[in-house]
Amino acid sequence: MRIEKYKDMIYACGRCNYCKGIDFNDRCPEIFTQVWESSTARGRMAIARGILEGKLDYTEELAERIFGCFMCARCQEECKKAAQIDVIAITKAMRADFVDRGIKIPEGGEKIAETSLSSGNIFADTPQMHNQWTEGLEFTEGSGILFYPGCLASHRFKEKTNNLVRLLQAAGYILDFLGEEQTCCGTPLWVTGKVANAKQWAQDYLEKLQDRGVKEIITPCPSCFRAFDEEYPELLGLEKFPIIVRHTSAVLEEIVEKKKLEFTVPINKKVTYHDPCELGRYRDIYDPARKIFKALPGVEYIEMARNKENAFCCGGGGAVKTMFEDYSDTVAKERIQEFSSTGAELMTTICPACELNLTQGTYMADIEARVLDVAELMAVSAGIIDEEILESDYFPED
Amino acid sequence: MVDIKKVTKLLSEVVDPSRVSDKDFDLIPYSRDLSPAKQKLPTHIVIPESREEIQAILRIANDENVPVYIRGGGTSHWDAYLAQEPGIMLDMGKMNKIVDINDRDLVVSVQPSCTWAKLDRELRKQGLTYLCSEAGGPAMTVGGSIMKAGAGPHGTAKFGFHGNQDVVTLEMVLPSGDIVQTGSAAWPSAGKFERQCLGPDLAGMFIGAEGTLGICTEITVRIRPATDIQERLLATMPSLDSVIEFGHFINRHVGDEYLQGIYLWVDPTAPEVFTLMMDIFGYEEEIVNHRRDRVVAKVKELGGEFGDRAPADDYFGHILTGLTDLFVAGVWHFFGAGTLRIDDIKFMYNIWKHELVEKRGYKKAGFGGQILPRRWLAFMVTNYREPEEWEELVEMAHGIDELILDGPVIPYGVGGRDGLRDIVASRDTGYYRLLKTLKKTLDPKNILQRGIFIPEEALK
Repeated sequence: MRIEKYKDMIYACGRCNYCKGIDFNDRCPEIFTQVWESSTARGRMAIARGILEGKLDYTEELAERIFGCFMCARCQEECKKAAQIDVIAITKAMRADFVDRGIKIPEGGEKIAETSLSSGNIFADTPQMHNQWTEGLEFTEGSGILFYPGCLASHRFKEKTNNLVRLLQAAGYILDFLGEEQTCCGTPLWVTGKVANAKQWAQDYLEKLQDRGVKEIITPCPSCFRAFDEEYPELLGLEKFPIIVRHTSAVLEEIVEKKKLEFTVPINKKVTYHDPCELGRYRDIYDPARKIFKALPGVEYIEMARNKENAFCCGGGGAVKTMFEDYSDTVAKERIQEFSSTGAELMTTICPACELNLTQGTYMADIEARVLDVAELMAVSAGIIDEEILESDYFPED
Repeated sequence: MVDIKKVTKLLSEVVDPSRVSDKDFDLIPYSRDLSPAKQKLPTHIVIPESREEIQAILRIANDENVPVYIRGGGTSHWDAYLAQEPGIMLDMGKMNKIVDINDRDLVVSVQPSCTWAKLDRELRKQGLTYLCSEAGGPAMTVGGSIMKAGAGPHGTAKFGFHGNQDVVTLEMVLPSGDIVQTGSAAWPSAGKFERQCLGPDLAGMFIGAEGTLGICTEITVRIRPATDIQERLLATMPSLDSVIEFGHFINRHVGDEYLQGIYLWVDPTAPEVFTLMMDIFGYEEEIVNHRRDRVVAKVKELGGEFGDRAPADDYFGHILTGLTDLFVAGVWHFFGAGTLRIDDIKFMYNIWKHELVEKRGYKKAGFGGQILPRRWLAFMVTNYREPEEWEELVEMAHGIDELILDGPVIPYGVGGRDGLRDIVASRDTGYYRLLKTLKKTLDPKNILQRGIFIPEEALK
């Protein structure tokens, strides 16, 4: 079993309940949606210990507790103060144990992994459909800097992604794009425990990128960013990924710091920001968006009560959206209500999955508000796109 | 034997089925607490949301002769809330609301699983506080603390343990399902403002009973304006005698007003170094300054020296926000813990130093204590590795517990068969006999917390 590797951590759980928080449901989105102790990090360590000691076994029924985890790492952030247990690594190992043992995983998880493998993206898009967002854009093959949007930004956010590339190109970045060669980064595979498939996927992808002469990848998706930068090296036994990988948060911050664009159009909005889990807690990247807002005229920035390392998940993590959509929607609604309580007019973030889920949250909470990428505010302020996108009644064509 | 499917069906008729489980993976997280007590599995988990649901659950338990156990934050240090026998575990986590903050009468009513940290956060928004903390950290619940008569490093130097006079009223569901209000709440047309009225103090009967006599569903405690002016001091004292004299100074000369938190720590690597961490609170700066000057003068008179307060900040600062690296050296165990007269701290220290550190060579456990009004709450605490060091730890801790309790020390928490239950039962005191009589009277089928505090056979 893969969890044996984490035996010391599993036994180190002091059962202090820091992971559950002081209000018991204000930190962990899983306990927020599934009420059981078995849904907490403390509970998961007890289950893992039970499995290690032969008192419990993986079963199809148990899958809801393990695959119902949003993998947002909020519990892990608390555990830094106590036992420093890598709850995410253990959760991934448990999911992989399900697959290794041939125990059925939730249908949505099975489906997203299969779709990625068979079609090359999570939506089963044809390559032509998947690349519609590039309309009107030109790329430079062989530039060495690959723009890699990932599945969600390609399929769901055509206009946003188009705007992002226009912003980057206006700032002087000469971007390559894989075109019809672009496929999913492979995140759905390891999130659903399909480690063997994931390893082959990573191997093939690395070869493709190296053959094309890619020296640097820029991606707006934190999952894709971590896929190349963290998961691939781990799967392939590499100390470091041989290609530089940057999330757009770093690139956008660079545009501001190096004054590559002038921001003159005032935003004139109260703005708040949702920290994506995979950037914030996973990679300690909290500052770029906040620095960017300071550079944009007319932004009145307001923090949500739960922010930075304490941020509540958007509901989109851990592939829960595909496996237990109701749980995902409930969490998104909670987060949007928190946004609403700040009095901010715009919810921003810097992750396509968060944007998707938080937009869903506005429907669930029946709140008229736009969820925008930080890059969109920059593009408006730089005069690249029209400010109409800031209005709550704006509806993008995609 | 519990007919699991039948009980599941019955429970699902009185509580929403989404809050009833008999699945093995849902049971196992409730099988341990913070202590090294052996794993004990319940048969069912139920998450009640109201006292009426608890009443209904208790009716089923009585009808089916199934014991009921109670769990709040799940951080008991002494096997006090684990299922000693197969039975229903109530996860009280959803009963964690703040019912009412009454800033006129200076009382707050909460449901039992409200955490101290949550309560304090809300009170401070109104400039109020309970001024207490639990060493167990942010998950510690108000109900858990009071039902065990717990104490912590803040507030208790002045106000005593958490079940002391700060508890105004309790709402308890008895094993029979009957609901009892204590204090002024016993008079329905009055309100929640006073602990001792209308006959005996029945709240005191439930406080410290570890849930054996009733299930707490609401607690009203005194609150007070927040004391924003404070001073924190750290001093090293030359001897335990000087620590004792300092304790008397605090109690005798100024009542308990000078210090609201005094914590003694002796590290096993330096058993002759006595560190005192002290917090002074006050409403007026000149009062705080006066108190600080008196404390400083007394410490110096006793030969103590003041040092960098950083370790005290580290200790006090993490109480409600998280004890950094708490379990990095292994999981935690408190043992040899109890309350005793200020002069008697030497007895416990000698057991720690001579029996534990020197004779047994166990050098991982520190010695600590908090000064409560006119007494100490003292303990030994260690980290250990599970599972490899578990057996040695349990044997060592039990031996020390026996030595401590042969002396002038009253156990802090009793618990089940892996707690101090059997040591307590072996003292056939009038107090214990009365407690058994109360238990038999209130809970003739021994439904509630069966096997905790009083062994089952002692009730037959």
